[in-house]
Amino acid sequence: MIDFLQMIASGIAVGSSYALMGLAMVIIYKTSEVPNFAQGEMALIASFFAFMLIDSFGAAWYTAFAGALLFAILLGCFLEYAVLRRAKEPNILGMIVITIGLEMILLGFVSWKFGADQKTMPFPISPYDSLVIGDIFVSTLELLTLVVALVIMLVLFFFFRFSKLGLAVKATQQNPVAARLMGIRTNRILMMTWGISSFVGCLAGLLIAPTIMQPYMMWDPMLKGFAAAVMGGMTSLPGAVVAAYLLGIIENLFGGYVSIEFKSVVAFAIIVLVLCFKPSGLFAKHYVKKV
Amino acid sequence: MNRRLLAVLLVTGVLVSGLCSGVMAEEGVTDTEIHIGSWGPQTGPAAAWGSVPRGTDAYFKMINANGGINGRKIVYHSFDDSYNPAKTKAGVKELQEGTGMFAWVVGVGSSPGLAVRDYLMERKIPWVGPAAGSLHWIKPPHKYLFGVYPLYYKEAKALVRYAVENLGKKRVAVAFQNDEYGKNGLKGAIDELAAHNLKPVALVPVEFKDTDMKPHVMKLRRSNADMVLLWTSVGHAVRLVGTSKAMKFAPQFMSTSTCSDFPLMIHISKGLWEGVITAAFGELPDSDNPLLQTYKAEAYGKFAAPKERWGVFYYAGILFAEPLVEAIKRCGRDLTRERLVKELEGLRNFKGIGPVVNYKPFDPKDPNSRQGTHATFLVQCLKGGKSKKLTDWITIR
Repeated sequence: MIDFLQMIASGIAVGSSYALMGLAMVIIYKTSEVPNFAQGEMALIASFFAFMLIDSFGAAWYTAFAGALLFAILLGCFLEYAVLRRAKEPNILGMIVITIGLEMILLGFVSWKFGADQKTMPFPISPYDSLVIGDIFVSTLELLTLVVALVIMLVLFFFFRFSKLGLAVKATQQNPVAARLMGIRTNRILMMTWGISSFVGCLAGLLIAPTIMQPYMMWDPMLKGFAAAVMGGMTSLPGAVVAAYLLGIIENLFGGYVSIEFKSVVAFAIIVLVLCFKPSGLFAKHYVKKV
Repeated sequence: MNRRLLAVLLVTGVLVSGLCSGVMAEEGVTDTEIHIGSWGPQTGPAAAWGSVPRGTDAYFKMINANGGINGRKIVYHSFDDSYNPAKTKAGVKELQEGTGMFAWVVGVGSSPGLAVRDYLMERKIPWVGPAAGSLHWIKPPHKYLFGVYPLYYKEAKALVRYAVENLGKKRVAVAFQNDEYGKNGLKGAIDELAAHNLKPVALVPVEFKDTDMKPHVMKLRRSNADMVLLWTSVGHAVRLVGTSKAMKFAPQFMSTSTCSDFPLMIHISKGLWEGVITAAFGELPDSDNPLLQTYKAEAYGKFAAPKERWGVFYYAGILFAEPLVEAIKRCGRDLTRERLVKELEGLRNFKGIGPVVNYKPFDPKDPNSRQGTHATFLVQCLKGGKSKKLTDWITIR
């Protein structure tokens, strides 16, 4: 029983970073219907920016983290403005290819600039400190990630539901032409969502970096985050978060009771199953465009 | 007419002699150059081992700066394969068939090496000192493949033997990378445990792309192991030790020589690598061995990239290439692949900065004819990345 509870706790802990990446992907998808495959590497470059501030300029970790978050917002806005907006007559497939291209460029840049050696991000909470609740261990850093993921989810949920800007984002997604006619600057809205998404992804990157920091560090969280976003229906923020935690728990239970060897692929088997039985995801309410 | 005939004969003569000399000369060797190839991961999750071919590069530059070998300079061609066997194969073929290598040296990784072993052996191209201790290099032995790295299999045996006999450990678990590298160590551990009438209490495979180590540590913890042998990449080994600490699981950790770069391990584990025991294949970084000091000053000091660190993996690139350089020296000006093989076979008690190296004339039934060394020694990581030698060279037969 203790093992079972530990696996659930570990699953929730690892699910938090998936949840943040999933949220980041959903935000962009909500407005542009493009799954952004550069999400992981946008977070990567921002995390390395923080590392550079600490390592080369002697900045304190909180200054560096704040700098990285600002950098992430600017990077997201810049990529949307300078690359995606320039695409001529873009279709979804073309946009996806552009994001894959961006992903490779950013990854290559980080490998070239910072080298591929393992590094560690200075952070006041060690990734290997843990809290003991009963007989269950939870890493302190993962607990922090959990809190951050839940807070971000709530903030985003209220932002999209109740703020004017959030409504404008929704309108842009549902009908860009009508939204523009109503006076919404849809281009700016798109740019802003890229900024917000990059910010959320960067938070995930910064919370992963104290444990593992090398150019491929975001690969797994990004894929799992994407898997969670697909499971949750791609447009639902709480859906992505719930799916991310489910994914973490299932992975851990599968690793514990079935096969540790195939633990990493179980996420993708689940996606296939979900897409077979509920093609629009577990939690999505798709807006149907009328012709 | 006669003059034309003479001209035709002259041109034919020149062409034939030119052709003959082309046929006679060995591929990758000219009057002034010897082309030698290598590979290693400069990017990707295994990039920590990328310093090995960089060390070889500095070593060759040092040799060239001192006049080369018998009037020839070494032209070193090394490429980044990201520890991806498909890339290794493509890169080796491109260099071999494009530029033409005389021989190959070092080459990081069991799986990448395995991807090109048959290609090189079928073409009778020598490969000396693969930077991996795989059994695949010598079982069966290949005439043109000379191992320098102590076998992982034997390292694992040495570590388990020490744990059982000297530390009194009885419950041994193994966490291994689920590929050739990890399985070589696993086999050594299982065989040595069997020799002591023991069985591993848990076998935990780690996939190369796994990032979350909690399920693995849970399995290890459930087994109540008192010693855990880690045969994984550097990053995974650190996360296994760290996650164990977070889950209050504290067995004696032991690991392979690939995780013996203690300053690096201490740095990326934030100090948690302290106390871990590993195998070692060469002098320790702070050793006062005169040859190591020469390399440090002449190769590393003059030719290393600005941010390069004098670590175990870096000078391992020198250690693995030493027997090749010695054999090329012994060939004199008559440098052919067959002669090189003969000179390598003649190496007896050759001592560089690693263990003593011995080869024998090729015997397809004797793996030891191509495995230069069977010795390793054990070290323990101390505070700040310093190391304590626990044993002398142990020879495992």
